[in-house]
Amino acid sequence: MVTTTAENEVLTSTSAVTGLPQKRYYRQRAHSNPIADHCFDYPARPEDVDWRSLYPSIRADQEVSFADIGCGYGGFLVTLGELFPEKISIGMEIRVKVSDYVLDRITALRQKSSGTGAYQNIACLRTNAMKYLPNYFRKGQLEKMFFLYPDPHFKRAKHKWRIINQALLSEYAYVLRKGGLVYTMTDVEDLHNWIVTHMDEHPLYERLDEEEANTDPITPKLYQSSEEGAKVVRNKGDHFLAIFRRL
Amino acid sequence: MATIFFAEPELVIGHGRKVLFLNPGDLQIFKEIELPPDLTTCGLKTVEPVPAPGHPASSSKQQPAALKEATGSVKVEVSIQNVTYSPDRQLLALTTAGQKAVLLYKSRPENAQLLSIRPLARASSALRFCSDGSSVLVTDKTGDCYQYDCVEVDASPRLLLGHLSIVYDVLWSEDQQYIITCDRDDKIRVTNYPATFDIHSYCLGHKEFVSGLAMLTEQHIISASGDKTLRVWNYTCGKELLLHELPAPAVRMLVRQLEPEKTYEVAVLFYDYVDAIGVYRLEQTTTESWSITSTQLVRAEAGTWNICNFALTDDRIYVTGAENERLTLRVYDSRNGERASGLPEGWLKMVLDNLDVAAFMPEDLSVWFKKRFDNVSEYLERKKRRIEEQKQQKCG
Repeated sequence: MVTTTAENEVLTSTSAVTGLPQKRYYRQRAHSNPIADHCFDYPARPEDVDWRSLYPSIRADQEVSFADIGCGYGGFLVTLGELFPEKISIGMEIRVKVSDYVLDRITALRQKSSGTGAYQNIACLRTNAMKYLPNYFRKGQLEKMFFLYPDPHFKRAKHKWRIINQALLSEYAYVLRKGGLVYTMTDVEDLHNWIVTHMDEHPLYERLDEEEANTDPITPKLYQSSEEGAKVVRNKGDHFLAIFRRL
Repeated sequence: MATIFFAEPELVIGHGRKVLFLNPGDLQIFKEIELPPDLTTCGLKTVEPVPAPGHPASSSKQQPAALKEATGSVKVEVSIQNVTYSPDRQLLALTTAGQKAVLLYKSRPENAQLLSIRPLARASSALRFCSDGSSVLVTDKTGDCYQYDCVEVDASPRLLLGHLSIVYDVLWSEDQQYIITCDRDDKIRVTNYPATFDIHSYCLGHKEFVSGLAMLTEQHIISASGDKTLRVWNYTCGKELLLHELPAPAVRMLVRQLEPEKTYEVAVLFYDYVDAIGVYRLEQTTTESWSITSTQLVRAEAGTWNICNFALTDDRIYVTGAENERLTLRVYDSRNGERASGLPEGWLKMVLDNLDVAAFMPEDLSVWFKKRFDNVSEYLERKKRRIEEQKQQKCG
């Protein structure tokens, strides 16, 4: 794989030890107003997306099937790419610096694995998933969606910024195929209850029972592989898991 | 807001607390509706809307309108936002801002009879009856779409669906299988009805807010947008069939079916343009093939006054707006765009005198456009500089 000048520039700001970008250069505040106008380039429709610019080796018959909504610093996204080498996964992140970190991280990983061609199946988009999912994905395209440690937006006035709400569940159901799965994880019990209530009441979702949820091979990865998840484990917090099937 | 539309044979104008129904030819007032300054006097209560199954009420508090029993408290103006007839003209619905409510009237016989008055959570942005008049949809500036039953006229509204930004227009399909909504995020969404949690399709392609929708055939709609285009779609599959460039962003659109079947008159109000209104002739040549066959621009003295709305009859365009903060109405001939002649002396003055004469400021539409600002370039610049410094340190 030929590295471009841009990739070389990135690599000089990486740690000499790991060869990966250092998070301290990419710190950004956790909260963002998803309803405000941000500066995004977004496609008018899925047909207009140049997927090759995100996945240089993507084949014509391949398309994105897993989406990590609010992928943060990309820990889980990387794990997803390793667990499912044949699937194309995407991370969506609204914050400028954080999405840039993930892009740099993926570039560095690809470079390091240029012999095996690994990590060609993950990419990060800086976008507002609450508004633009139908712009990127056609009806029923996605097989799995992940909402891991979403911003709880504690104040009641900010509840409408929560990534799971009734109106948005219909939009997520549109891009998810029948039988597709939604994975939610949080350490905030109030938010977990909010999510479960809304999804239980939405006619297009049914919750997986505990046995089904625990036998999914992805489930153990949800706890540790995202940066937020690891932080919760370090601080001995609680994990609240809910997995739903799109009917 | 100054609502105006033509529902043959009446020209309907709603402003302030009044709705006037006029004969556009001799300008007699058929009838009028006047709302009291305080809607609680006709029975407005403030109640939380009942959510539809599958849609729990949003947890954001819906503050009741500023109504207090005692006098001497906050006085909120009542002003009419949207007015619409049911397709068979039996019913009239209107929404108010200030004290927010949905009012339903029986419009025949002579004097409109108030059937019900129900609270609204937020000021409405669009209003539309379904084909048999059994219910009316109200959309608001946060993108929520509520259904108000018109058979059970006192039934609480049901929240059917929500967008993430203001919904500018709403349509029902004739068979009531679909609800079509358009918003500020460039989207046209086709939702199933009554299973409104199930989105059927999107019509994607616009690059700016979509300000108007109209039904053309059972499968086709036309949309107008701030991206300076008119587009015709087969909405059942979300396919764009025609893109017509406009000279300026479109903020309102009216469509009339014309005599030869499959021809339509499409009129568009422009934003900030030398000509106020564009009138286009649209023809359907084959099932999926549409084209614009003629264009007429109507200057309507744009620039000398602040135009906000218009209505079309067979031969005239009635335009409302503000001049010196006063509600003004001007009439133009739709064939040549000239000021219309043949209107009785003093008619306009009479009509305007009949409406509220408080200072009138049309909405500033510049906020409809997305603010595009760049918060990425600066970050990337700083990053580049940081990397260069590190490089120099390594080499130096």
